Amino acid sequence: MTAQVAIAAVSEMKPGRYPEMDGHALYVEVVRQFLAEWSVKPADIQGILACPSGMAGGGRTDIFVHEQLYEELGIHPLYGDTMNAGGATYGYMVQRAATAIRQGLTDSVLCVGAGKFPKVGAGGAELMARMVSHEAFEFPYGTFIPAIYAQVASRHMHEFGSTAEQLAEIAVSSREWALRNPQSATYGSEPLTVARVRESRPIATPFHLYDCSIPLEGGAAVLVTSEQVARRISPQPAWLLGMGEYHSHRNIHQAADLLDIGCGRAGRMAYERAGLSAADMQFAQIYDAFSVNPLVFAEELGLCPRGKGGELFASGATRPGGDLPINTYGGLLSFGHTGDASGMSMIVEGARQVMGIAGDRQLTRAEIGVVHSYGGMMSEHSTLILGRQP
Amino acid sequence: MSEQMPAEKPLPKPTPGAEHYWESATREEFVLPHCRDCDQVFFYPRLWCPGCFSQNLDWRQGSGRGRVYSFSVVHQAPFPAYQADVPYVLAVIELEEGPRMMANVLHCDPQEVRVGLAVEVVFEARGEMKIPQFQPVSSQGG
Repeated sequence: MTAQVAIAAVSEMKPGRYPEMDGHALYVEVVRQFLAEWSVKPADIQGILACPSGMAGGGRTDIFVHEQLYEELGIHPLYGDTMNAGGATYGYMVQRAATAIRQGLTDSVLCVGAGKFPKVGAGGAELMARMVSHEAFEFPYGTFIPAIYAQVASRHMHEFGSTAEQLAEIAVSSREWALRNPQSATYGSEPLTVARVRESRPIATPFHLYDCSIPLEGGAAVLVTSEQVARRISPQPAWLLGMGEYHSHRNIHQAADLLDIGCGRAGRMAYERAGLSAADMQFAQIYDAFSVNPLVFAEELGLCPRGKGGELFASGATRPGGDLPINTYGGLLSFGHTGDASGMSMIVEGARQVMGIAGDRQLTRAEIGVVHSYGGMMSEHSTLILGRQP
Repeated sequence: MSEQMPAEKPLPKPTPGAEHYWESATREEFVLPHCRDCDQVFFYPRLWCPGCFSQNLDWRQGSGRGRVYSFSVVHQAPFPAYQADVPYVLAVIELEEGPRMMANVLHCDPQEVRVGLAVEVVFEARGEMKIPQFQPVSSQGG
């Protein structure tokens, strides 16, 4: 038996625009909120992992974030790094932290992320396309992140007959959850309808504006700990029951199969290590840069049969009161996408549901759930299985 | 229209092992890297075979034929160089030889592009270079 590891504490800023804060100031604010929310003492943080700051902004990039943070915290960790795998960064941080704790290297690792998403219209689209496309074999063809993700959508529509309306249902489902989450960027806004999604501005077929996540700024922190520390800090930790990691490609045209893109491979590893199956999952939090991601990844994660992702979302099962709630915080589609920190949001929500601290959106069944994130252009994948019992 | 590209569109920067690919394209020849040890054609060109790591490579003439594997019609130009082009088609082409590559599908109504559409290579001037692009096979009588 391997030692038990848990997410003992989580905290996340409300996504927004924080022009007065640079990358460092955002990190500091994330840590400040975390320390204000939880009774964590300096001895409780023996390791620290952070993400480089400022990448998506194209400005000054800090690749020594963890050094500055541990110094400001006033601690001398036994384990630390600044690491990046795009949206998978934080899933991998939890996995690295768990491995280090099980190896006995440390008892706790604070995983921190803060990010700013550049404004697409202000040169941000070109900057980001350059970052995620092959400089010779993709970028000269006018790459655009929504159009890269749309390759998966067009393939799914071709193979399984899914429709743009089914994609819109995902945005509608996410908004319903976001309206129950005061921390979401769209809290207090109008509900979405399929018609409203389809009538919004066309971006890149089949995506319209509301098929795309909302570019914002923010950040979050999660404390991964040994069983002993978890029980001291948290009345109900989110136990890490399984984890899986898989790296498929970098450039989208190199993906071996757009509908078996690596999510399922990471997911099967995580289920196997947890001794569980997809049927045991009572909820799912799935990284959703675009509406197509939860559709295809629900299939890859085995939450519905292959080809039936569109029907799953159109059925209402993923919405409040449904049998298989997905992205219960609103998803990046309606909670907001915090740039370099986006991969934190689904982990924080997965942990909150399991811990029973999800407020008005708390699920009645949240014993076990799956959290999937990926980095790059659906390039590298992280699956975590969280549960109430170790 | 698409032959008259504004100068600010990006030029491919030849990566290690791909120089011959771009020199050939500029002569309107479509070539693919080939491994002499495991006899596979692959894409994109690089200094070793991704199938067996051999560096014993040569080049094969590509048929220039393929099918649209996936695509999107871009309505919002990602940056100013593409403003005049929207709507344009960003696609992944599955070549007859097997490998896939990214390209635009030119010389057609973007609304008519479908997964599975048969396409053939054409060359688009880009500065001093030419880059492989694709068009439906019926565009110029196949």
